[in-house]
Amino acid sequence: MSTRLETDLGIEFGGDYDRRRLALGALGVVAFLLVWEVTSWFNPAYVLPSPRAVADVFLVELRSGTMLTALIASVTHWLPGTVVGTTLGIALGVTMAYSDLADDMATPMVRVLRPVPPLALIGFAIAWIGLNHAGAAFIIAAGAFWINYYAAYGGVDGVSEEFLDVAKSLGVDTDLGLVRNVVLPAALPEIITGIRTGIGRCWMLIIAAELMGVPGVGRELYTASQNLSVDAVLAYILLMSLVYLVLDTGVGAVQNRVLGWQ
Amino acid sequence: MSETRVAVDDVSKTYDGEDGGVRALADVGFDVEDGELVCIVGPSGCGKTTLFRIIGGLEPATSGEVRLSGEPVTGPSPDLGIVFQEYHLFPWRTVRGNVSFGLEQQAIDDDARARRVEEMLDLVGLDEFPDSYPKGLSGGMKQRVGIARALAVDPEILLMDEPFGSVDAQTRSMLHGELLSIWQETEKTVLFVTHDVDEAVTLADRIVVMAPSPGRVQEIVDVDLDRPRERTDEAFAEQVEYVRGLISE
Repeated sequence: MSTRLETDLGIEFGGDYDRRRLALGALGVVAFLLVWEVTSWFNPAYVLPSPRAVADVFLVELRSGTMLTALIASVTHWLPGTVVGTTLGIALGVTMAYSDLADDMATPMVRVLRPVPPLALIGFAIAWIGLNHAGAAFIIAAGAFWINYYAAYGGVDGVSEEFLDVAKSLGVDTDLGLVRNVVLPAALPEIITGIRTGIGRCWMLIIAAELMGVPGVGRELYTASQNLSVDAVLAYILLMSLVYLVLDTGVGAVQNRVLGWQ
Repeated sequence: MSETRVAVDDVSKTYDGEDGGVRALADVGFDVEDGELVCIVGPSGCGKTTLFRIIGGLEPATSGEVRLSGEPVTGPSPDLGIVFQEYHLFPWRTVRGNVSFGLEQQAIDDDARARRVEEMLDLVGLDEFPDSYPKGLSGGMKQRVGIARALAVDPEILLMDEPFGSVDAQTRSMLHGELLSIWQETEKTVLFVTHDVDEAVTLADRIVVMAPSPGRVQEIVDVDLDRPRERTDEAFAEQVEYVRGLISE
C-alpha cells in the first residue's frame, strides 16, 4: 500500500514539475513577444517590425517557395561539409590520441592550424574550389573538423589502459581490433557530443560560408539586410533557429538511445 | 607427476628512478602445477601486483621469465584469463556482451558462442540478468561477470588480482565458495593474489608468502586442510597464525 502511494506521488510530482516548467517557458515566450510588440509601437518598421509583421513575412516567404529553395540550397553544402569534416575530424582525432607516433608528428601542425577560423579560409575556398556549394562545404567542413577532432582526441585519450589490458588478455591482438572493440565504444560519449556540437555550429556557419555569394538561407539574410528589410532578416533568423531546434532535438534523441548504458 | 602450468623463473623488476631505481621484485621463483590453486599473499609494497602484471603479460620483467605451459610470456595471452580487483567490465556492453567479448575474437559460429555464453552465465549464477548493463550491478555481481568473461574463452589458467577486495565480507565469503566450486568443476589452474591471509588459507592448495623491499618469496606454505574449510577450526586458525607470523617477520 505504502509503495503504491509513493509511486503515485512520484508520477504526479514528475508530471506537475514538467507542466510547471512548460507553463513557465510559455510565460517567458509571451513576455518576450509582449516587450517586442510594445517596443515596436515606438519604432518605425524598418528599425523594429512587430512580431506579427515578421510572422507575415515568414509566411509569405514560405508560401512563395523562396524559403524552401534557400533551405535546400543551404543543406546542399551544409550536409556534405558537416559529414566530411566530422568524419575526418574523428578519424584524425582517434588516430592522434591512440598513436604516440602520429601525435608527436602532427602536434606542431595542429597547434599552428587550430587558431585559423573557418571564415579565414574563404580565400582558399574561392581560389581552389570556386563560388559554389563545394566551396561553401569546404568552409563548413573546416568548422566541423576541429570540433570533432578535439572531442574524439579527448575521448580516446581518456580511455583507461585497463580496458586495453582486458581486451588483450581476451585475444584482441591488433591495434585495429583494439580501436574497434575498445577505444571507439569507450570514447563514444565524447565523440557523439562532438558530433552534436559540430552539427549545430556548422549550421550557424552557413551564414559565413554563404558570405562569398553562394545561395542559401545565409544569402537571403544578407540580401534582406542590404535592403534594410528587418522583417525578412528576422524571418530568416527564425528559420535558422527552427531548423537548429529540430536538428539538435533529433541528434539528442539519438544520443540518448546510443548511450543508454551510461 | 602433473605438468607445470606456470613457471616463475628468477623474475626481477626494477623501476627506473633517480638513485638507480627501485627494486620491486628480486629473484622471485615458484611453479604452479596443473589444476592447482595457489595464492600469492603479502603486505602492501611486496610487489605482488607487479608480479601479477608480469605473469599476466601486462608488463615485462627486468630479468628472468614467466612460462605458461612451457611457453615464455611475451604479452597478454588467451591461455590466461585475468580477473581484476576493479572488475574493468566494459560499461557499454551488457552482461552477456561482456561475457561474449573474448569469444567474438575467435572464429566460432554464433550458435556455439551463444551457447557458451549461456553456459558461463549459468556457471556464475547470472542467468537472470543477461541484459543488464554493469552500471546497475552490485560489486559481487560485477565480479561474477568478470570471472565469467575470463573463463568464457576457456583459458588454462585464471589469474586473479584481489578479485574480492572491493566487496563486503558476506559477499566475499559467498564468492569464495563459488570460486572453489567453479575451480573444481572446470579444473583450471588458479593463481590468486591477495593481502588477506584468511582468504588465502580459505582457498589455496599452496600459499606463496612474499616479503617487501625488495619483493621476494619468503616461504611457500602447503595448506593441508580438507575443504570446505571452516574459519572456526583450530587447524585453520593455526595455519593463519603461521602465515601471519611469516609476514610480520
